[in-house]
Amino acid sequence: MSAARYLRKLVLGETWSLPAGLALALVATALAERLAGPQGWWPAGGGFVLLALVLVALTASLAGALKRR
Amino acid sequence: MAFTLTLVGAALAVGLELLEALAIVLAVGLTRRFRDAVLGAAAAALVLTLLALVLGPLLIARVPLEPLRLVIGVGLLLFGLEWLRKGVLRLAGRRSPSSSFREFVDEREALEELPAPAPGTADWAARAIAFKGVLLEGIEVILIVTVLAARPGGLAPAMIGSALALLAVLAVGYRLRAPLQRIPETHLKYVVGIVLSAFGVFFAAEGLGASWPFDDLALAYIALIVLAVSQAQVAVLTRGERRQAKAVP
Repeated sequence: MSAARYLRKLVLGETWSLPAGLALALVATALAERLAGPQGWWPAGGGFVLLALVLVALTASLAGALKRR
Repeated sequence: MAFTLTLVGAALAVGLELLEALAIVLAVGLTRRFRDAVLGAAAAALVLTLLALVLGPLLIARVPLEPLRLVIGVGLLLFGLEWLRKGVLRLAGRRSPSSSFREFVDEREALEELPAPAPGTADWAARAIAFKGVLLEGIEVILIVTVLAARPGGLAPAMIGSALALLAVLAVGYRLRAPLQRIPETHLKYVVGIVLSAFGVFFAAEGLGASWPFDDLALAYIALIVLAVSQAQVAVLTRGERRQAKAVP
């Protein structure tokens, strides 16, 4: 395995779906923060938005395994 | 709560990675010569120490606190979610269980095919294999411990957890092969995945300006939520596996 490939596997893992899902979750969370504004519901509820999106990303990365034998 | 979880997370993550490195060093030592295996491992440990000395202070000194929380959170999520994904697949029977003993056997079989070194000469093949094995497993250890230690108050528990793990792995190494077979690595790696993911969500959310009800105690309920969801995923995947097995005549 080349050094670059090893480093990619080390940091991003074995699949692209999980880091891509995590990136989408973070972008969506940042957008939600902008929409909510600093004085809105964000400080109290923002963490739960991120938690839910991260768990969706994890579930999506496992979806392929359900189809495979 | 944060102290205990950091200590447990660091100890488990470091211990499991070191166990894999130990399996490679043992395979080299038992198949070739222990002196060369230890020399290769020691050289890798030296490189890793230098890496840790550069990476930690660089991360803490150069990145301001708020973005640092986000960086730490994302780093922990990348590692934690990957360990968790593999853990769910292993518990559901969709991936072979994690086993340092199997790694030890595979490495030993590969080494037996190499020609033996002449007596009195350095065994560079053995040194290189031990060096590479320890270096590759060690880099993951350095990255995980650095992000755990970089958060406020994280240095002490991360260091204590790592030291405990090092002592435990050395004790396992002293007793050689048998304990490698008895360690429930699949379940321990799954737990590490939950702990690192909980820390990751906690810090990434704080880095994005959110605060958690009950402060540090949030780590416990985030971990419980991640545990519940991942157990549901294991159940769904296990049911799917059984259904597919029945469908195949």
